[in-house]
Amino acid sequence: MIGWLRHQKHALSAALRRLRAQALTTVLTALAMGVAISLPSGLYLVLGNLDRLAGGLPAQPEISVFLDAGASTAQQQAIAARLRQPDIVKARFVPRDEALAALSAAQDLADITAGLTENPLPDAWVIRPHTASRDELARVAADLGKLPGVAETHVDSQWADRLQAALAIGHTGVWLLAGLFAIALVAISGNAIRAQVLARRDEILVSRLIGATDRYIRRPFLYLGALQGLLGGLAAGGVLAVAGAILRAPVERLASLYGSAYHLLPPSAIEIAAVLGLTTLFGWLGAWFSVTRALHQVEASR
Amino acid sequence: MISFSQVTKRYPGGHEALSGVNLAIEQGELVFLTGHSGAGKSTLLKLIAAIERPTSGMVSVSGQNVGRLSHRAVPYLRRNIGLVFQDHKLLFDRSVIENVLLPLDIAGLERREALKRARAVIDKVGLLKREKANPVSLSGGEQQRLCIARALVSRPALLLADEPTGNLDAGYAADIMTMFRDFHQVGTTLLIATHDDRAISALGGRTLRLDHGKVEEVPA
Repeated sequence: MIGWLRHQKHALSAALRRLRAQALTTVLTALAMGVAISLPSGLYLVLGNLDRLAGGLPAQPEISVFLDAGASTAQQQAIAARLRQPDIVKARFVPRDEALAALSAAQDLADITAGLTENPLPDAWVIRPHTASRDELARVAADLGKLPGVAETHVDSQWADRLQAALAIGHTGVWLLAGLFAIALVAISGNAIRAQVLARRDEILVSRLIGATDRYIRRPFLYLGALQGLLGGLAAGGVLAVAGAILRAPVERLASLYGSAYHLLPPSAIEIAAVLGLTTLFGWLGAWFSVTRALHQVEASR
Repeated sequence: MISFSQVTKRYPGGHEALSGVNLAIEQGELVFLTGHSGAGKSTLLKLIAAIERPTSGMVSVSGQNVGRLSHRAVPYLRRNIGLVFQDHKLLFDRSVIENVLLPLDIAGLERREALKRARAVIDKVGLLKREKANPVSLSGGEQQRLCIARALVSRPALLLADEPTGNLDAGYAADIMTMFRDFHQVGTTLLIATHDDRAISALGGRTLRLDHGKVEEVPA
């Protein structure tokens, strides 16, 4: 056990020495990895922010029922009676005057409403149905639309649904991209380690002759790959931090135009740890493939 | 300690380096292996250290059938054998002492103990003043002594030397041979392949001559 720990420590310090001895190569490899990793993780962050934006919207779907301007009192009463049925949780009547007043109070629209000679808005009900399923909502909305005196119904959750669907595609895309770039990471690491193994051919051959096991020979290269992966992950963090710093001001300006105090959400500690852990793992994996193959070549060329 | 029984080694291409060799070497013996170049001296040493495998016959070292040893077991066999090469096989990207430390690192020895042992053996071969030097700056004789130090630092029971004085002038060669005699006197088994007759007559000991793949005992 102590011998094993000593071997690990020895291999780790050997790997660190090699990284330092070839600082330029190390930095370039880390940058190549960092750029590759920053693409999927950057997209992941953008989607996380969009999710949060979409999450701020009312989750409960509402249906707006706009009444015909010429609806009779009897028709109106029949509609009100229908809306007291148990499939409707809440129904609020919005008279046309109140709607216009609300519109006038809203930012920047006062100018438009002030120019109106008469109120173009219909009376309306805003209802919250019992169901949240999309099909059920559509059915309730169609049902209500057939009532006499109803001009139009509108399911307000529609665009939120569309956004959710678009985000779901985005999430799938992130995983696809992440998979592709994981392969790229393994390839970059494997290539870097292969060069290292071939450069240390003599050392490997001599070590073999004086009793080194394959594991002993492989170990420093595996540490090298893992460390290189970790540095790649850190480089990706750097790339994203710079991108975030550049984007912060424009995003906040855009948000302020919408009257919101929206800020870019930085990644959580768990997400950062996950990315660093994965890049370390893939760096190690690339090194393992490469060193195993290169050791066979070294053996064959002896 | 070492026994060959009907050992034949044929290389790909058909060249037969050893044919039906039988020999036995006891623990603590000092044995010279002579013969013209290409007679199979190096092959015989390589079979003992499992660097090559016999085509047929059995090579046994300390009771282990070396020819049948698994790939995983070979490193542990080699840790008990010190190897001295004609071309030294030193690593020029590290200092003298780090070359000597390599076998101890491989064995997983604790660093302080390893340094102590490495210094002791470097002192024994007379290179203590050069321990921080790069081996490239050493003379041929010094490089050979460094190679011997590396072979001996893990205190192997068996030392195999392939033409250890091949590239050295007479003075250096005598130095190296004296060193081998000292190791023999403390109980190390030595098998030295050489065609340096002066060294053999100076040290005495058993001599085996290889000729066209056959071994014969040379009467003292």
